[in-house]
Amino acid sequence: MRIGLILPEAPQYSETFFNYKIKCLKESGYDVTVFSGKRTKNKLFFKHSSAYPVYKNKKIGQFVLFFFVLLKTFITAPERSVKLIRKEIKDGNQFFTALKILYMNAHIITHKLDWIHFGYATMSVNRENLSGVMKAKTGVSFRGYDINIYPLKNPGCYMKLWDKLDKVHSISDYLYAKAVKLGLPDNVPYKKISPAVDISLFKFKNDAGVIKTPLRILSIGRLTWIKNFETAISAVKILKDKGTDIIYTIAGFGSEYERLKFAVYQSGLEENIIFSGKKEHKEIAKLMNESDIYIQPSYQEGFCVSVLEAQATGLLCIVSDADGLKENVIDGETGWIAPKRDPEGFAGKITEVINMSFEKRKETALKARQRVEKEFSLEDQKKNFIEFFKD
Amino acid sequence: MLIMAEKLKIAIYSGNIPSTTFIENLIEVLSGDGFIIYLFGKKKKEMRYNANVKSFPTPVSEAELVYFVIKESLVLFFRSAQLFKKCMQEVLKKSRNIKKFFRNAGFILPILNHQPDIFHIQWAKTVEQNPELFNLLKCKFAVSLRGAHINYSPLTDRSLESAYKKYFPEIDAFHAVSEAISAEAVKYGADKKRISVIHSSVKDELLIMNPEPHVKGNEIELISVGRHHWKKGYHYALDAMKILKDEGVRFRYTIVAQGEIPEELLFMLDDYKLENEVEIINGMSNEELIKLLQTKHLLLLPSVEEGIANVVLEAMAAGIPVLSTNCGGMKEAVNDRFNGYIVPVRSAKSIAEKINEFILEENEVKKDIIRNAKLTIRKEFTREKQKTGFRNFYDNVSAK
Repeated sequence: MRIGLILPEAPQYSETFFNYKIKCLKESGYDVTVFSGKRTKNKLFFKHSSAYPVYKNKKIGQFVLFFFVLLKTFITAPERSVKLIRKEIKDGNQFFTALKILYMNAHIITHKLDWIHFGYATMSVNRENLSGVMKAKTGVSFRGYDINIYPLKNPGCYMKLWDKLDKVHSISDYLYAKAVKLGLPDNVPYKKISPAVDISLFKFKNDAGVIKTPLRILSIGRLTWIKNFETAISAVKILKDKGTDIIYTIAGFGSEYERLKFAVYQSGLEENIIFSGKKEHKEIAKLMNESDIYIQPSYQEGFCVSVLEAQATGLLCIVSDADGLKENVIDGETGWIAPKRDPEGFAGKITEVINMSFEKRKETALKARQRVEKEFSLEDQKKNFIEFFKD
Repeated sequence: MLIMAEKLKIAIYSGNIPSTTFIENLIEVLSGDGFIIYLFGKKKKEMRYNANVKSFPTPVSEAELVYFVIKESLVLFFRSAQLFKKCMQEVLKKSRNIKKFFRNAGFILPILNHQPDIFHIQWAKTVEQNPELFNLLKCKFAVSLRGAHINYSPLTDRSLESAYKKYFPEIDAFHAVSEAISAEAVKYGADKKRISVIHSSVKDELLIMNPEPHVKGNEIELISVGRHHWKKGYHYALDAMKILKDEGVRFRYTIVAQGEIPEELLFMLDDYKLENEVEIINGMSNEELIKLLQTKHLLLLPSVEEGIANVVLEAMAAGIPVLSTNCGGMKEAVNDRFNGYIVPVRSAKSIAEKINEFILEENEVKKDIIRNAKLTIRKEFTREKQKTGFRNFYDNVSAK
């Protein structure tokens, strides 16, 4: 079985999810090729092909390349090229737009594939006719941004995709439900495969359930509005004003560092909040081991693997009620849920956990660990991936 | 009696010609007031100024730039070969390639050729980008303290922070747009005694406007104005609208902001189902804006950072009550329940509560607030007051 995985770029070393998926599929005999938009210099352990470049400023260079790439594609895959162009025109595109679509897919169309799988729904835009032309099946993964936000800016962007799908993968039930609202027919086979945790890397900490002084709180995630660290910063301010001795570490980098740094400065929390930058797995495991409470204040979340890793480590997890997180943490059993965008709510929940008996906290941490081991193991994930592409 | 000597030549430098609305306003105010204004910077558009404004734009296109640099070089060489030599050394030192060389030379040459008496830097970041000014130009230096450049850019930009600390002590005078921002600048080594607070101003015409105020208990029309940027705090405003909607308050909220609507706000509108209550308009001219303002009941400023937001001053002048966060220098213009409303920063809850308070306010109280707001503008934020402020400012600098 030959699978083509379409991604924006070849997964980096740190992107365990895709790397693991590719590894699993390869180990069980699938022939996987990754098609990416950008070229990479990294050493890869899988077959890889990148799209022909699109230049913004070199008009002549672009035209020459465009011409030769199309010529080559028409020679090597004449039937498919013509079919793709016909289909695109039938869908209402201009001839030139159809040629452009052929150009952006020229690195894929010449391959022999049984499955074309879009790693994010966004990757399917302008590639909807590809599998029809290549006589391959079509699969897609829903991950968060692609279903939650991209369609708001591009209404109707998946309408062409929906009726061509053979199978759908989502990291949470909520994302799948949202896709159905966006027009995905509910008779398309669907499989939920949650992210998984490598429990050998995230070991259960010795002092799980203990609250130290100062209280150590941790969050992990990109510094963007989606993660909504502003709410957490305001919550820390409320706690500090009430006299709680607190150190809050935010690990991650992103485009809104300045916005958050200013929030910390304006709230007078420079002594209490640390931006530690982006961390590799081992450092994250270490940070988790040193912390007492993990908070995920996200406004929106597909599922969030960091929260799983925190639960595996035995951190006391307080997360927002963003949809994907409600499937990640069981409120009152493996952690606690606070209303999103509500600093008072988060501060209140943190206080509640501090004032809870040690036994209750320890019990919650243990339950969380057991649930991760049972329901989010790498072995299960592997089985699910392999099954997904069977028959 | 002092006999006025030659008119002072003041360079207003913001990087671009024309500059932002309020700097163009400043140019207009100053040029009518006995100063000769020199403008330097990249030429973005053809501009026509009055006779007291001398504009020396640096061309953007490469061919024109090369010609410009050669011409200006010759002028400087014949004026002072020594200065020309020093200038070339500085420019070569900071230019990594030939393109940068022409850009840098095109920036500094016209300034050296026209030798202003006071070089007034509008954006503090210039002291980091063009330190050669201090080595080459023999004149007084003034720096305006505005918004992000002082309030948060140096928090995450270490090299900017150290540039401020290095050069601020050498600046002859600072113009601060608010008391609040001058306190921030002192942290980077600006001498408190050299800082003058000069508030911005609004056009007198606005003061005669008298739109219908909101009637107690009726549906309310809210408006916010300002570009899409996190510091404008529109996400807090939408959180507040969600609270109001849940409480069953009848309202409509308009945001006037130039540019593409950010994902964050799009997502919030969808998540909160506020499509019927909230409208985001993609910019408009100042005249249109003033017209629109007069159909609204309350101007909301949900920002987390501002100098003193001009739109708040304009609304106060035009008789629209304002609700502002207590950010930057806003408290220097707005006094809670006297001439407007103030809420803490970063609190959607407080915004929602205050809007409710306003809706249920007696009509007489609203009228008082509108009257007091107009008085505040008449007293503190007129063109005349700003003019006098700058006249004293420049006279003091040149006398030093």
